[in-house]
Amino acid sequence: MNATRRNVLKLAGGGAVGALFTPAPWRLITDAALWSENWPGIPRPARGEITSKATNCSLCTAGCPVRARCVAGQPVAMIGAQCPFGITGHHLPYHPARVRQGPVQQAAEAVARGRRVAVLDLRPGRTASWTYRRAMKAMKGTYIAPPQPPAAVDLAAAKIVLSAGVPVLEDWGTPRNVLAARGHFRLIYAGAVETRTAALADEWIRVQPGSEQALVEGIAGSISAGEAAARTGIPAERIASLAAELRDGGPSLVLDAEFSPEALSLSTGTLAVRAEAPVPATWAREAAPVTALADVANGSIDVLLIDESAPGEYLPWNTIQPKLVRNDAAVIAFAWSRRGYGRWANYVLPAPVYPEALDDIPPAIDSPAPVFRLSVPLMTPPEGTINPAKFAGDLAGINAAAALRGRAKAIDASDEFWKSLNEGATWIGKPKAWQAGSLSQKSMGSQSPAAETDLPLTVVLTERRGGAAPVSPLLSKLYQESELRLKPNRAALNPDDARAAGLAEGERASLQTAIGRCDIAVAFDASLPRGVVEAAARPGILDVCAPGARAKVVRL
Amino acid sequence: MRHSGKGFLGGARPVRHFGHSGKIIFLTGALAALGAGWAGFPRALYSSRPQPVEFSHKVHADKAGTACEDCHALRADGSFAGIPAFEKCTGCHAAAMGTSAAEKAFIDGYVTPGREPVWESYARQPENVYFPHAAHLKLAKLKCERCHGGHGATDKPRPVEIDRISGYSRDVWRGMKMDDCVACHREQHLEHSCLDCHK
Repeated sequence: MNATRRNVLKLAGGGAVGALFTPAPWRLITDAALWSENWPGIPRPARGEITSKATNCSLCTAGCPVRARCVAGQPVAMIGAQCPFGITGHHLPYHPARVRQGPVQQAAEAVARGRRVAVLDLRPGRTASWTYRRAMKAMKGTYIAPPQPPAAVDLAAAKIVLSAGVPVLEDWGTPRNVLAARGHFRLIYAGAVETRTAALADEWIRVQPGSEQALVEGIAGSISAGEAAARTGIPAERIASLAAELRDGGPSLVLDAEFSPEALSLSTGTLAVRAEAPVPATWAREAAPVTALADVANGSIDVLLIDESAPGEYLPWNTIQPKLVRNDAAVIAFAWSRRGYGRWANYVLPAPVYPEALDDIPPAIDSPAPVFRLSVPLMTPPEGTINPAKFAGDLAGINAAAALRGRAKAIDASDEFWKSLNEGATWIGKPKAWQAGSLSQKSMGSQSPAAETDLPLTVVLTERRGGAAPVSPLLSKLYQESELRLKPNRAALNPDDARAAGLAEGERASLQTAIGRCDIAVAFDASLPRGVVEAAARPGILDVCAPGARAKVVRL
Repeated sequence: MRHSGKGFLGGARPVRHFGHSGKIIFLTGALAALGAGWAGFPRALYSSRPQPVEFSHKVHADKAGTACEDCHALRADGSFAGIPAFEKCTGCHAAAMGTSAAEKAFIDGYVTPGREPVWESYARQPENVYFPHAAHLKLAKLKCERCHGGHGATDKPRPVEIDRISGYSRDVWRGMKMDDCVACHREQHLEHSCLDCHK
């Protein structure tokens, strides 16, 4: 038997056939698959002691109490969260779009160079907001905040609720409050589009696009029933019967996007004066006033600090930009990613994201009483993140780190109170009843420009909770891979409207409003009425329009 | 060697068959592969890690009357504690209770210097598996042996064998695979979905 090539091949062939009758090849296939599941870089859940820690979710002002289940100190489940965003809140620190490093020194130097500094606080009413106001007073700067509703809503007291385009059953109030009260009030929804609130309401009144406010004014008698009927497309008799229903079926609550005086006057026994938790007496004296963006003079800001760390109302960038000096303004955004104002900022400084930051949560719109609760950090923020309040406080020599404790002491100075707050407790103050003369400030005011003849469409924004707020990357998978939700920079039109504008489905187009334009992809949606353009509330869209804005869509 | 047929150029083309010696060579290769596959491959695939202490489950069960759950307990929240804490051992073995060499080695090597032994886990499931012991013990009333076999009756801990490629314990393949879980759930007519175990 010679070692010829033929014999070697025979031996190898025999070996190959024999190997097929052993576990080796089959097991290697399985093991190779398992090995690929354990490649470096694949996140591994921690192993260790299982504990739980109480906190309050700070992703919106609902501030749902949450019990975080932690393994080896790392949160792995958010029990008690009431919405998909809260349930997946512990994913946010690992978001791939997160900013982790930023030019802190350069930003501080830019602030030092500026003469007219301003802070834009997207979530006013926090203790950090008071730090900004005190810092701005000391620096002779301006504190800017989005308009806040003058009243708080007591949904539990309502027997009948008329919502003029307000998404009461979606991303509006505190989920647990809405769910608890839902069985006790009749909900009438007036809107042009069949939203989820419209679908779940007891009655949906389909009005002409952009005419929700006219309906409220017609019911309140600010305009004649005939004019209201003409603008809304609702018969004058129905408007009169709605007025009677609200008057006789109370306590009633009328909600519109602007908290207009008409809506407030129609609401009976369901409103309270909107109030914050007490602050130390010295703070109020040392704080700059709250200024609406519209009241800031154009070209008057050298340095603008934007606190985007706490998600709040997103003001269109196109309304902010004119307030900056023309060529030399420095915009510093404290943000979790570059997807929001970071797209426009000169400096993006990484801010802690929920649940890394210690912060308080202002009262929600449906919290009739002032509240004080903390979002206690469950994780340590990565090195390099900057606390925006501390940054602003340091500029003015204010100790921001002690501010929360200082505010808690203004309520109750005991250590037990502070300890309870850090264990997830909520302080609830006494509500102050709303009186007819309680409207000491202007209503929120419409951010939408007046109707213009060359802007025939009304913008309806969906997925408003998104904005530039952090969202678990797992949640975005659904709309990235399907047409179930409107993708960012995609707008839906009634097919007849689209064809009239010469647009085809999927075509790139420009959404134009009175304050700007952005590129979109056109989607056809036959369920939309004519005269409406529906878009997801994402920063690109929000830069050029607010809900209810007038717009047109033109081919590129 | 017989020759028949036509070659590529029309000439005679040799056709070769397995002769006696060829069959022997082929079978030799096959047998070698079978031997390597069944005997050598597992040895090469698994690394063997001895346990730090010669712990006898049998002695603890028979002489001390210890039940599984006395040491491998559920925590107050229902989660499984797994390998017992060192304090559980030192609670009884602060001093020698018997005369065995294993116990003496344990006390001298670990208890006296206060050095906690690093136990190897036989049954660690992959990271993507959620297995609640409490539900299976309390609700389904399964016995430990159903999944862990006769491990509780051993007199000496066998080494833990870890798959060099996948990193999984060999014991997972002995009755703790997903197929085993699914089969048991089917036996019990239980509804199950992917997310029951893969949270």
